[in-house]
Amino acid sequence: MPSAEKILELPDIAEAARQPAAATVARFEIRYSRFLDPKGNALRPLPDFAVDRAELVALYRAMVLARTFDAKAVALQRTGRLGTFPSALGQEAVAVGIAAAMHKDDVFLPSFREHGAQLWRGVSLVELFLFWGGDERGSDFAEARNDFPICVPVGTHAPHAVGVALAFKLRQEQRVAVCAFGDGATSKGDVAEALNIAGVWRLPLVFVINNNHWAISVPVVQQTAAKTLAQKAIAAGIEGEQVDGNDVIAVREAVARGVAKARAGGGPHLVEALTYRLSDHTTADDARRYRSDSDVSPHWGEDPITRLRNHLVGRGIWGKADEEGLLAEVSAGVDKAAEAYLATPPQGPNTIFDFTYETLPQDLIEQRRAMLGMARE
Amino acid sequence: MPEINLVQAVNLALARAMAEDANVLVLGEDVAAEGGVFRATDGLLTRFGSDRVFDTPLAENAIAGLSVGLAAQGFRPVAEIQFTGFIYPAIDQLVNHASRLRTRTRGRLTCPLVVRSPAGGGIRAIEHHSESPEAMFAHVPGLRVVVPSSPARAYGLLLAAIRDPDPVVFLEPTRLYRAAREEVEDDGAALPLDRCFVLREGSDITFVTWGAMIKETLAAADTLAGEGISVEVIDVATLKPLDNDSVVASVAKTGRCVIIHEAPLTGGFGAEIAARIAERGLISLLAPIERVAGWDTVMPLPRLEQHYLPGEPRIVAAARRILAYQ
Amino acid sequence: MSTFVLPDLGEGLQEAELVAWHVAAGDHVVADQPLVSVETEKAVVEVPSPQSGRIARLCALPGERVKVGAALVEFDEAARADTGTVVGELAAATPPPARVADPAPAGAAAVRATPAVRALATRLGVDLKIVAATGPGGAVTSADVERAARALTEAGPAEPLAGVRRAMAVNMTRSHAEIVPATVSDEADIEAWSPGSDTTIRLVRAVVAGCTAVPELNAWYDGRNMERRLIKQIDLGLAVDTGDGLFVPVLRNVGGRDAADLRRGIEAMKRDVRARSVPLAELRGQTITLSNFGMFGGRFAALVIVPPQVAILGAGRIAPRAVVADGRLVAHRLLPLSLTFDHRAVTGGEAARFLKAAIEELERPE
Repeated sequence: MPSAEKILELPDIAEAARQPAAATVARFEIRYSRFLDPKGNALRPLPDFAVDRAELVALYRAMVLARTFDAKAVALQRTGRLGTFPSALGQEAVAVGIAAAMHKDDVFLPSFREHGAQLWRGVSLVELFLFWGGDERGSDFAEARNDFPICVPVGTHAPHAVGVALAFKLRQEQRVAVCAFGDGATSKGDVAEALNIAGVWRLPLVFVINNNHWAISVPVVQQTAAKTLAQKAIAAGIEGEQVDGNDVIAVREAVARGVAKARAGGGPHLVEALTYRLSDHTTADDARRYRSDSDVSPHWGEDPITRLRNHLVGRGIWGKADEEGLLAEVSAGVDKAAEAYLATPPQGPNTIFDFTYETLPQDLIEQRRAMLGMARE
Repeated sequence: MPEINLVQAVNLALARAMAEDANVLVLGEDVAAEGGVFRATDGLLTRFGSDRVFDTPLAENAIAGLSVGLAAQGFRPVAEIQFTGFIYPAIDQLVNHASRLRTRTRGRLTCPLVVRSPAGGGIRAIEHHSESPEAMFAHVPGLRVVVPSSPARAYGLLLAAIRDPDPVVFLEPTRLYRAAREEVEDDGAALPLDRCFVLREGSDITFVTWGAMIKETLAAADTLAGEGISVEVIDVATLKPLDNDSVVASVAKTGRCVIIHEAPLTGGFGAEIAARIAERGLISLLAPIERVAGWDTVMPLPRLEQHYLPGEPRIVAAARRILAYQ
Repeated sequence: MSTFVLPDLGEGLQEAELVAWHVAAGDHVVADQPLVSVETEKAVVEVPSPQSGRIARLCALPGERVKVGAALVEFDEAARADTGTVVGELAAATPPPARVADPAPAGAAAVRATPAVRALATRLGVDLKIVAATGPGGAVTSADVERAARALTEAGPAEPLAGVRRAMAVNMTRSHAEIVPATVSDEADIEAWSPGSDTTIRLVRAVVAGCTAVPELNAWYDGRNMERRLIKQIDLGLAVDTGDGLFVPVLRNVGGRDAADLRRGIEAMKRDVRARSVPLAELRGQTITLSNFGMFGGRFAALVIVPPQVAILGAGRIAPRAVVADGRLVAHRLLPLSLTFDHRAVTGGEAARFLKAAIEELERPE
């Protein structure tokens, strides 16, 4: 890659001559960590940010906002006012933990189930409603101008993250790219290729696997024989770890560690966040076709929002009035944004054409004219 | 001014573009120390350093994908795909992402990348090294597809492609890399990407082609000229977006058209041009439109290759068929 | 349908205020999934679902106070319709529209010509149907069109037919479409005629003789209904050629008039024709026609019968010819005769006998 080192290093023949007949030349280890148990009890000393009430409340609020937005989106879809929507119910801690660990001028490349991260990073509720409601303006973020829009072809944004991280390295900027994708994506070539290149080029890139256990109807045990998804990083020479994806403190801590390492020039990192998809794959899916309700119910016991609330309440830093106030404020905000979205008139049909190239070629000028002529009739 | 061949012209244009704009990067397999298997990037590493010219691991999909990421961040990556036989994995990134990044973000993120690749057969190569996929890319909204046919046009068109704010697939005819030499001035002048080139004016019949087939097309035109037939030869060069006016105006003048391409006939880009002529210039036609193209088969291995490539006799025969409509 | 009521929340509370719903009507929920947050005195608590099922109805609004035991949520058993997809919406099948019978297809253009050639033909005023095609596959080429255009300009301007010429064209076309003509010819030896004989009158008498011998030639034939009408009276059409065209006025009842009467009638007819004052009625009703084309020249001819007539007798130019008489070669004046008949209604035998009778009459000295 891009490096000042000399490229060619031939194997040390003398060294090879000294090897015994057989030896273990590589091992790997994947560590799992969490801070809070499902009931919200701290299992070990918390990281510094978690000592701070304001930080924890911000995390809590962000997860509640994500869930409230999510429920509103599903409700709008049910009433025909939003398109197909992939709910992230139960996975709020992964998204919020990722975003909270990033700097503002880092770049985030989501899959399509990290609404909470997008919201934290400045994508507005109205923009999210617009996008899922079928309006491209939803991807023209007013803030987070460098973040990528969601990525539908699974895993194909992983190489984009490589390019973004490479851009930071070439310009010697202290910025990091963070790329999130699901368990299904880890079977894709794009992801393997991206891990490999990030590893060999030592790019400032953190991969986060949002492992919600399901790729539509295929459970992760049918996706791969690997015991963990984190170990796929090992094959690329990257350090990988697992965290409890429903513990927002654990997610943030691990991603922050990876981001700091990358920012300092330590190369890429991978965090596999274990969570569970409590909803259907999308609003058009019916998960009961392939999993039973009794499989799902126990996972409500791991609810990340309940967990953090219980922890906050347990520490005496969150009470009834706080809860009511937050629920009211967040509901009102989401409702207001939904109304603003519903009141937004669609773009003119000319916009189908206008952004195809920077300057519209003659062919498209003619086609646009033809389409507008028909649209008027 | 020294005379250079097409691959040298590519090299010249790359160097020029890199000298003018620090955001231009060259990446791909074996492009750095090796200088590219066809020497297209020869000398660039030494001149511009490993931060601007670098080898990638062997992953065409990722080459295209990371170029999308670089382009979104404001660089102008020029990615080499070693042979168009290997460009197919990159189609996902080019079609699903590069071509539509601008429109799906309403212009917030854009994709000024170039993917360049040697295309076409006639080089007595092994399997998968003689592809002509231009029609596949031309079908994709949001891409540009450019095929140079001479050293001077390779220089000017590649400069234009690199400077273009949108993604360009630049297919270089391998067969022409060393074929002809001509004087090319390193003046940094780009050629337009919205126009066909009329290489030769004529009044009896129009030949429309691109890429390596220019050679056989001009030879056929010479043969017919020797019989007093005046042939107009058009090099399409930029297949997408297509310049309708040049071709239609020519057919309005001559009333007869032969379209020549190496790629297989069915669904080839000649069909698009024929449709445009039929839509916009039918009233001028004195005879049916003829297409002379590769057969709808895989390019055979070298021992039979010459039966596949549309040669001068096929072009002349097609011309004669429609000249019979006097 | 089952109703879930607000459970006992503990703390001895009898009611709680509903703070926020976490589910909506239509949602499928699983057991233990939080349905709603309610406010007790001490805290805001989440109430989990007791079962899996579909929420039919939410029974209270945020802000309302709900008593313990009061209805909170109604579940129903309605099965969720299979969307058949995970993205987007698939429209259900609609019955195909009733098939409209295809309109009769338009006839294909008979002439093969490319658009440029057609445009050229239009510009030059050439009807493609009259152009001889020399192009590949029988296509008309531009050279063909140009050749035709040149021929047309050299040919002089096209003048539409009018009046008598138009009538002739119409009648001849009609005749050609209907009649099946056959012609039998012979010559009458009129050496024995006295000088000053009236050829026209003699020919009229010959027609009468023919019709007397073979009445089948004085008839009208209706080809559509295949009906023949033999006519007693012979109303003879007499072809008169003028500078304006061909007139065929009728000489009525030639069989019942003497020579002087016939001569008077013929003279009157000619006067009227010259003066263009022939009453229309006198141009109709011919039962058989005589054409003395020999006045201008010509010997034998296959003439055109105007339906519903079935015969026309043509007389060519009288001229001395070599004949054999009494074993010796001599020069006699001969009058050539051509009898064209409609073979749908008249047999060859009938025609031949008619001609024989006519000739016998003509060969009498008086």
